[in-house]
Amino acid sequence: MEIIDRLSAGDPEKKKYYIRLFLDTLEPELDNLKAANVALPQEPIRAILHKLKSQVQTIGAAETHALMAQQEQHIKEGGQIDQSQLDETCAKLSTLIENLQELLK
Amino acid sequence: MSKHLKVALVDDDIPNTEVLRDFLIRNGYSHVDKYHDGESFLESLDRFDERAVVLDFDLSGGGDLNGLEVLEAVKERSPSTHVIFFSGQDSLEVAVESLKNGADDYIVKSNAAFALVKTSLDKVYDIQVLKLNERRSQRISWIMAIGWMATIAGVALFFAGR
Repeated sequence: MEIIDRLSAGDPEKKKYYIRLFLDTLEPELDNLKAANVALPQEPIRAILHKLKSQVQTIGAAETHALMAQQEQHIKEGGQIDQSQLDETCAKLSTLIENLQELLK
Repeated sequence: MSKHLKVALVDDDIPNTEVLRDFLIRNGYSHVDKYHDGESFLESLDRFDERAVVLDFDLSGGGDLNGLEVLEAVKERSPSTHVIFFSGQDSLEVAVESLKNGADDYIVKSNAAFALVKTSLDKVYDIQVLKLNERRSQRISWIMAIGWMATIAGVALFFAGR
């Protein structure tokens, strides 16, 4: 959240604006990730992980970013992630979204 | 200090592009355009485009072209346009390919990435300022040369007329 804090420079409305921007992408993509089927080709999952990992990084969730980057790389190299790995990512993203929503209150 | 370098951000990542744009504006780049796909950016490009382009590799969320294809089209249409590759792909292959095709820099998206983009743009800005100063001093040299020639011709005519 460092970059967002710095850019919003103490302006709470500006900070909320940035948080909403990120939530607009994170929320629907989390739904897509939850609905993804690990038994099918995993390119759509890789694309979502790729899309969200930079945003998660900008928000400052380093651990979630590392997990997503690792899973993306694994799929890119021809591997598959299983349902429990996908669930772990979804759980971390859900927590992140809840924390962001909390900041909007 | 406001820097007179126009910047185009081409990235399908909407929130990060917005944040990067604000970051650059805050750091003196007053003219920053955003494009979320390669096609709309290429439509806006003209032959003498002086913008510096910060270009993502994976534009699959926006259009059909990837960053390397956009880079190729930019270099074909406007060779002097500076392109900074800005990618989530920590891939040596993509980095080599982009630099081989004329990119000025390759930055992997990371915690420090926004600052690295700014540093890279600062270098482009410095190069543009140097080129502008060089053009100015060339113009001044020409004007001075013409002035001297006119003076010599005037003096010659004066003596020829006596």
